[in-house]
Amino acid sequence: MSAEHQKATAFVTRLLANPALKSLTPLQREEQIIQFLHANATQLAPTLATPAFFPGASWNQIVALLLGALMDYVNTELFSSLDEIGGGQIDFAYVNFLRQQSVGSDKVQQQAVSLVKTLLAKPEARREFTGAHTALVFKFVDRYLDAVWTRKSYIHFEITKVQRLRMSKEQVKAMIETTLLLKPVVYLVATGGVAGQAEQTSGIVETKFGEKVFLATKKHLNLVPDPVLKSAVSANISFIENRFIEATARIAAIFSARCRNFQPSVRVDRGADSPDKSWLSIARRNYKFYGFDIKMLDEFFSIAAENGW
Amino acid sequence: MVGMNRTRAALENVVIVAIIFVLVQTFLEDFAVLAGWSWSVRRVLLFTGFAFDIFFSVEFLTRLYFSFVKRRTGTYFWYERGWIDLLASIPLLLLSSGPAVLAYWSGTATIVGFGAILNVLKVVKAIRIARILRLLRVLKIFSRIRHTESAMAQRHVAKISTVAVTVVVVGILAMTVLFSLVGAPSLETAYREQTVRVLTRIDDLQPEGDAGKVALTELADIEPSLLLVQRDGHTLYSRYGNDLYDSDFGSTDYGYGERGDLRVFFDLTLLNQEQSRSNLLYFAMILFIVFAFMFYYSPHFALTVSDPLHIMRRGMSEKGYNLEIKIPPLYEEDEVYRLGQLFNEVYLPLKDRTSAADEPEVLDLKLDDIKDILNE
Repeated sequence: MSAEHQKATAFVTRLLANPALKSLTPLQREEQIIQFLHANATQLAPTLATPAFFPGASWNQIVALLLGALMDYVNTELFSSLDEIGGGQIDFAYVNFLRQQSVGSDKVQQQAVSLVKTLLAKPEARREFTGAHTALVFKFVDRYLDAVWTRKSYIHFEITKVQRLRMSKEQVKAMIETTLLLKPVVYLVATGGVAGQAEQTSGIVETKFGEKVFLATKKHLNLVPDPVLKSAVSANISFIENRFIEATARIAAIFSARCRNFQPSVRVDRGADSPDKSWLSIARRNYKFYGFDIKMLDEFFSIAAENGW
Repeated sequence: MVGMNRTRAALENVVIVAIIFVLVQTFLEDFAVLAGWSWSVRRVLLFTGFAFDIFFSVEFLTRLYFSFVKRRTGTYFWYERGWIDLLASIPLLLLSSGPAVLAYWSGTATIVGFGAILNVLKVVKAIRIARILRLLRVLKIFSRIRHTESAMAQRHVAKISTVAVTVVVVGILAMTVLFSLVGAPSLETAYREQTVRVLTRIDDLQPEGDAGKVALTELADIEPSLLLVQRDGHTLYSRYGNDLYDSDFGSTDYGYGERGDLRVFFDLTLLNQEQSRSNLLYFAMILFIVFAFMFYYSPHFALTVSDPLHIMRRGMSEKGYNLEIKIPPLYEEDEVYRLGQLFNEVYLPLKDRTSAADEPEVLDLKLDDIKDILNE
C-alpha cells in the first residue's frame, strides 16, 4: 500500500468514525462521505493539497484517492454484511421449492452474493443498492410481511393468488429479500445509469430493457430460479408501465425506495407523523412518478399507521 | 465583553433568585398575619419586604438608566416589561413597605387625631391593597422561565399571562379605590362606624369614676376591638398586659383616636387578617392563572401552532427532513393545519420528486469534526 493510499485510508477512516454516521449502513455512510467531500471541496482542497496530505495533487486526484480508499474500507464491512444476509438472514431453501428439484441452497447463496459483490464495483450500482441493502439490514420485509399475513388483504392476495406463490410466509419473505439482494442486477447491462432507464430521476427501467437484463443475468445466476430473477429485474420496472410485474418485485421496489434515505435513529419532532407513515404518504402521492403500486402503498401506509412506524 | 456578559448574567440570576424569595416573602407576610404569628417574626418579614422593594426599585432604575443610555427606553418600558418592573417596585416602596417601616420607627402606623379614624382606615386599606402590586412579580419570573422551546409560544403565553394577571391586579386595585371613594359599605366602614361609636360612648361614660370603670369594662366585653383607654397618660383600661402588647402587636396592628386628653386604642388585627385572607386569595388566583397558562395553555399553543410551523420550517430548510405534519381532526380547520395539509399534500411530494435525482443530504458531518486532523 502506497503512502498516499495509507493517508487516504486514515482520512476516510476518521470521517467514517464520526458518531453521526454510526447508525447508518456502510453504503449510506459511503454516500455521506462522498457528499461531504463534494460539499466541502472548497475548504478541503487547499488543506489536502498540503505536504501533510497529498502534496501537489489536484482536487480530482485527491478525490479519486479518497474514494478508492473509501470504497475499499466500506467493502470490508459491506461484503461481510452481504455474507451475513446471504448466509444467515435469507433462507435460500425456498429455491428448491420453486425449482422443484434439490439444489444446494449454499451454492445459490454463493452465486447470488458473488454476483452482487461484482456488481458493486460500479459506483451507480452501489448507489442504487443502498436502499435495498438498508431494507435488508433493518429487516423491513420481516416487519411488514408479518402484518401483511395477519391482514390477508390486497398484498397477501397479490402474492398468493395473483403471483401464485404457494409458499409459507417465511419462504415468501426470503424470496422478497432475495429480490432486494439481486435488485442491482440491472447494472449487469446498464452503465452510468443511462442505458434502458425510463426515468432518470426515479431509477426505473423499461420493460424491454428488463427482459434483456433477465437474459443476461440468467447466464450468471443459473442456479437461481427464473421467478426470483424476474422478480429482481422487475423490481426496477414501473408498475404503471407494466401491470403484470410480480408482487414480490413491487414490494421490493417500495422497500428499496423507502430505505434509500432511511435513518433508524431519526428524532421525530412533536407534532410530526412517524417516518414510515410520512414516507408512504408522500409515496402515495408520487406513485406514478416512481412506478409504485398505489394499493400496496395504501396497505403499507395502514400498517405503518397502526404500528406507529 | 465576555466579562460584561458574565456579570450581566450573574446579576440576572441574582434577580431571579430575589424574585423567587420575594414571592415566598409575600406569601409569608400575609400568612403570618392570618396565622397570628408574633410581631417579632412579622417585623422581620416587614423589613425583608422593605429590603426587596428597595432592591427592585434599584433594579428598575438601573434598567431604566441603561435603556436610556442605549436609547431604547420605550422598548424596555413597553415591550420588555419595564412597566411591570416599575409597578412592582417604586409604588410598593412608597405606598406599602416604606410607610410601614417608617411607622415602625416612629412608634405606630396609624398616628391620627381624633375624628380622623375614617381616613386612617382608608389609608390602611390603600396601603394594604397596594401590596397586591407585588403579585406582578410573578410575571417577572414567568418571563424568565423558558417553558417552551418555541420563542413564539413563549412570547404569546407571556403576553396573555401578563394581560390576565395585570387585569386581575389592576382590576382589584381600581375597584377597591373606587369603592373607598364612593363609600361603599365594607368591613372597614363598619369598623370605622363602630369605633367612632365606641369613642363617643367612652367619652360620655366619664371612665375615671368607679361606676365609669365598671361601665368601661362592660363595654370592652362587648367591643372586642377596644384595646386600651388612657386619660392624661394614665391607663383607665387595658385588655392585655404590656408583655402581650410587646410580643403580639406591631405598628400595623392597632390604631388610636384622641379627644382632648382621652386616648383610645383599637385592635386592627381582624381587619388586617381579612385583608391578608384576600391577599392570599389573590396570590393563589394569580399563581393558578400563571400555572394554567404555563402548564396547560403553553403546551396547547406549542402543539397546535408552533410545532406544525417548526415541522414545516424544517421540511423546507432541510433536504432530508420529510416528515408530515400530524393533523388532529379536532383542529383540521385551523389555518395552521390547513397550511400543514398543503405542506403534506403538495409541498412534500413536490420536494420528493424534485430531489429524487439529487444526492442525499449530508447529515451531521461537519468540517469542525475533523478540524484536528486538518490542522495536524
